[in-house]
Amino acid sequence: MPDLTPLTALGHDQPQSVTYGNLTMGDCPDLALASLTLRRDAPVPLPFGLDLPGPGGYVASAEVAAIWTGPRQWMIEAKAKGCTDFAAQVKAQAPDAIVTEQTDGWAAFDITSPDGAAIGRLLEKLVNIDPGTVSPGTASRTSLHHMNVLLVRPDPCCLRIWVGRSFAGSLWHAVIGAAARQAA
Amino acid sequence: MLIPHPLLGLRDAEEFVYLGDASLMQRPDPDSPTALTDFCDYVFLRDNPAGVHRELWFHEQGDRSWLVVTRNTLTHEILGAELATDAARPTVTQEPSA
Repeated sequence: MPDLTPLTALGHDQPQSVTYGNLTMGDCPDLALASLTLRRDAPVPLPFGLDLPGPGGYVASAEVAAIWTGPRQWMIEAKAKGCTDFAAQVKAQAPDAIVTEQTDGWAAFDITSPDGAAIGRLLEKLVNIDPGTVSPGTASRTSLHHMNVLLVRPDPCCLRIWVGRSFAGSLWHAVIGAAARQAA
Repeated sequence: MLIPHPLLGLRDAEEFVYLGDASLMQRPDPDSPTALTDFCDYVFLRDNPAGVHRELWFHEQGDRSWLVVTRNTLTHEILGAELATDAARPTVTQEPSA
């Protein structure tokens, strides 16, 4: 009987987690992602009751969150829905919008620390963006080691990085390398 | 070099791709009787000013918007940036009164 257990973006059958000092980082294969784009002049929907955020914004409820990615474009993120047809659920919430499944195109990594300032110091090493602007409730699309990433700050103690799935290994290498040097 | 993105604030120029003279947004009318020479100028002729220049930049590693950036080519000073969708909107010109 072949083993059909799906692999995570890092190539394992279980999520990985590494701790350096007070920084813990790991991948989050259970998160689902779908993009939502509005046609010109279409009214702004309220998917899952979310008030879609403006430029650079991130809005979350208990299970679902919306990330601003461009004018009239968002990513909708959901916990524990990685194995479901999440795009269909978003489309049901916003039937007039253009919705595309993104779950398997992107991989998410959470960097957590009880000390939010430690996450800020790590960001100083990784991205060419003012860490002060990556505050809770914001999302920025930028470049990290020449990879296109979405930086999401759900709360002061957590930074989530979304990256193209094929870059997962490279991002992991960059992030744990910077964290190891910070802890040394 | 930092580019003042109208929606996102100061962003590193490395996130952007440079796409040339902003006058490329004024595409000639293909039905005009002078279309051939108009398109010849449009495709091949560019001003190369030493000084203030309006140019297109694409926020490729960001929100994927097109900007019209005004830059001084002598000093690299960025004098302003606006969304190309706003810059391309037709402006209402007042007809001269007879």
